[in-house]
Amino acid sequence: MSNIPAIDRASRWKTIRRETLRALAALAIALLVTFIVVLFTSKAPFEAFTQLLTAPVSRVRTVGLWIDDVVKLTITGLAFSLVFQARQFSMGVQGQVYIGALAATYVALSPLGATWAGIPLGITAAMLAGAVYGFLPGIAKAKLGANEIVSSLMLNYIAIELCNFLVRTNLPKPQAGVLTTNDFPDSAVFPALVANTRIDLGLIFALVAVVVVWFALYRTSWGLKLRLVGHNARFAEYSGIKATFIMVSAMTASGALGGLLGSMFVQGQTYGKLTVLFEGGLAFEGILVAIVARSRPLAVPVVALFYGYLRQGAQLMNIRTDVPAEVIGVVTAIIILLVSSSFSFGFIKKLFNRDPARVSAPVAAGGAAK
Amino acid sequence: MALLEAIGIGKTYPGGVVANDGVNLVIEPGEVHAVVGENGAGKSTLMKILFGIEQPNAGRLLLDGREVHFANPREAIDAGIGMVFQHFSLVPTFSVYENVVLGSEPRNGIRLDRQRAIAEVQELSERFRLKVDPLPPVRALPVGQQQRVEILKALYRNARILILDEPTAVLAPQEVQELFVAIRSLVAQGKTVIFIAHKLPEVLEISNTITVMRQGKTVGQVKTSEVTEKSLAAMMVGREVSLRVERKQTDQSECVASVEGLRVVNARGTEVVAGLDLNVHAGEIVGLVGVEGNGQAETLEAIAGLRSIAEGTITIANENAASLSVLERRGLGLASIPEDRIAEGLATGSSVAENLVATRLNDRRYVRNGLLDLKAIKAHATKLIEQFSIRVGGPSYAVGTLSGGNMQKVVVARELCEQPKLLLVNQPTRGVDLGATQFIWRTITDARDKGAAVLLSSADLSELLALSDRLVVLYRGKIVAAFVNTPDLTPETLGTYMLGLSTQTADEMKAALK
Repeated sequence: MSNIPAIDRASRWKTIRRETLRALAALAIALLVTFIVVLFTSKAPFEAFTQLLTAPVSRVRTVGLWIDDVVKLTITGLAFSLVFQARQFSMGVQGQVYIGALAATYVALSPLGATWAGIPLGITAAMLAGAVYGFLPGIAKAKLGANEIVSSLMLNYIAIELCNFLVRTNLPKPQAGVLTTNDFPDSAVFPALVANTRIDLGLIFALVAVVVVWFALYRTSWGLKLRLVGHNARFAEYSGIKATFIMVSAMTASGALGGLLGSMFVQGQTYGKLTVLFEGGLAFEGILVAIVARSRPLAVPVVALFYGYLRQGAQLMNIRTDVPAEVIGVVTAIIILLVSSSFSFGFIKKLFNRDPARVSAPVAAGGAAK
Repeated sequence: MALLEAIGIGKTYPGGVVANDGVNLVIEPGEVHAVVGENGAGKSTLMKILFGIEQPNAGRLLLDGREVHFANPREAIDAGIGMVFQHFSLVPTFSVYENVVLGSEPRNGIRLDRQRAIAEVQELSERFRLKVDPLPPVRALPVGQQQRVEILKALYRNARILILDEPTAVLAPQEVQELFVAIRSLVAQGKTVIFIAHKLPEVLEISNTITVMRQGKTVGQVKTSEVTEKSLAAMMVGREVSLRVERKQTDQSECVASVEGLRVVNARGTEVVAGLDLNVHAGEIVGLVGVEGNGQAETLEAIAGLRSIAEGTITIANENAASLSVLERRGLGLASIPEDRIAEGLATGSSVAENLVATRLNDRRYVRNGLLDLKAIKAHATKLIEQFSIRVGGPSYAVGTLSGGNMQKVVVARELCEQPKLLLVNQPTRGVDLGATQFIWRTITDARDKGAAVLLSSADLSELLALSDRLVVLYRGKIVAAFVNTPDLTPETLGTYMLGLSTQTADEMKAALK
């Protein structure tokens, strides 16, 4: 029996290695296809492709953009991982970001925002608001049987439009007609960790969040219950786990992360104020991060690092060359397809290295070969 | 010449489990060839290889003497091999004929030619004596008929070789006989049947040739006429086995659980348990007899707290349990082995250790202040793996990687590692092999001998007769007969009550309903 832990560890490393190789292979294939797309759409394809691959590290400022994306992708990736592990397909992170941002804005623009409490209170308000917003589709599912995908998506629109409405009407702004609020007082804006970049306190929060989510999922009984519900809700009920409570609490906790992300947007170095549509669709990209990371919290930042790089590369390519940033959509789609399908190395080996005996054999079996 | 031959088949799963190791199989045309072996002996893997679901790492497959490779089931089907799985792959809302033709429909232009499809299905079902009405939706059929639909599906695709994976595991005794009639008619018309089974009497009845597997290897191939149940069992297990359970005298005076006037109504509003009164005493096993769907499962679920009751009282260990939660009832000493281990008894994606601790997440030995004690959880799992000889690489392996019998052992280990006061058991050995059956029977009987009150439901009458102290027969949610188990109680006697052909009077039941 004493050799079992060693086997366990070996098998775990094997799984990690296999999953990493899979993700990297998916990335390589996606880049190859992207290159082909760029080849057809650009007048200077090699230059454009080089931009995609190198632009994020070309200057300190762009590295800052990259890391800022990574930080935010990590949080949204964690939020999605949490609900995915409980097998709840709540899509509400985007709405939680907007609601959280609104809450943070009200704190930041209040008299309290100008005091030392601006940052902690803003974050707390944002997380609470996000949690409530995550709780809603959960309780609607538990009590009314409402499909969480539909309700959370609809709540996203409500949050976006509410934010839109409040920025246009009742929130204080520098002049009529602009679509942003007043700048937040300095005391309510996350300090930069690296001067003149967007790398701010949010980085620390993201790292803490990774550890907290990992700990909650794998070291607490709540996390074990959550994963058991995700694997088999009927079994969880049979074991005496209150599956609906776990479900709703997972969605609520994920909502708090969404709210945190909202505060990181508006209170971060990027904005320091609330503007309409500030989030630019990033929240949803957490789905990709979570899928590629297989909803493993420790894998989320690693995936975010790669994906954030591509994301920034594409945006810089958009600015500096004639290739539109939408090309990155191709990369994203292919990566999701490859990672979520049962694609494996066996498949690639078969594709490139078909052993002639294997190919000819089905023909002998009566023309069954394709 | 052999019709289908497997030579030196080897299959190692990722993770290092050797499922097949130099397996040989020779199938002659027109025979019923049984493949027997314990759980994890590699039967299912071999069949998956024959049907193209898995690819072997070593060895060759010969069909009609020519080497073949099946990259997927499609290729196997095209080569004339059909397979009926233990878990059916039917569309419940589609009609029988739609299920049969699905994927290779007769067409009229671009439209499905319904008339022809119905006629063809009818013709097939008559020719092979697989009687089933082509029109009703599959979900309305009993399990036995659904199985016929599966067989028809394979025949519709011109299968010459039919692989049946534990076909009798889900059938009532009468249905088994009907299946055997169909198999004989298939063979008479030139088909070849490969039959995977656990129950040796059935194997001896239906097969011509038997291949025995043990621990991923073929032990041998024998003519059915040359073996007995005993010699076959010895070949399978590698030692002598007896399927008898010795039971101790127990003190059965204390009533541990009782239900009174229990009524359960299902989601569709039908009354499935209609006023049930039953007492279960410490140290006895009460068998719930009945054709499936007569309220046995619902009764057990109601007592376990998994199903809300419409009326009645449930008392466990002198406490009114009707309004208690699942966990509170477990706290009173209730344990339960559910019918469908994959759907209800396990989280297959979670590790063995997590599955073993799932019902004890309020236990201070494993969880303190909401934090898991991983060391204790792992030690608990390691101990149970050894104690219940679960074949697995280690506590952190996913349950989904285990064979059926080993999965069942995980469930049994979790429920019985601490002596329960009341044990609910539903179909404990369905789809489980001889060695594991023996082990599970032993474990349940041990729990009884140590004073547990056991309520057992099973579709296998021989199991009920082997284990129970008392038997009650349920028909349409009511008790229609009750017996004290004696050696002269026969399945036939139970059968007449099970089918509702006769009912005992209250006086007749009284003695056995204490």
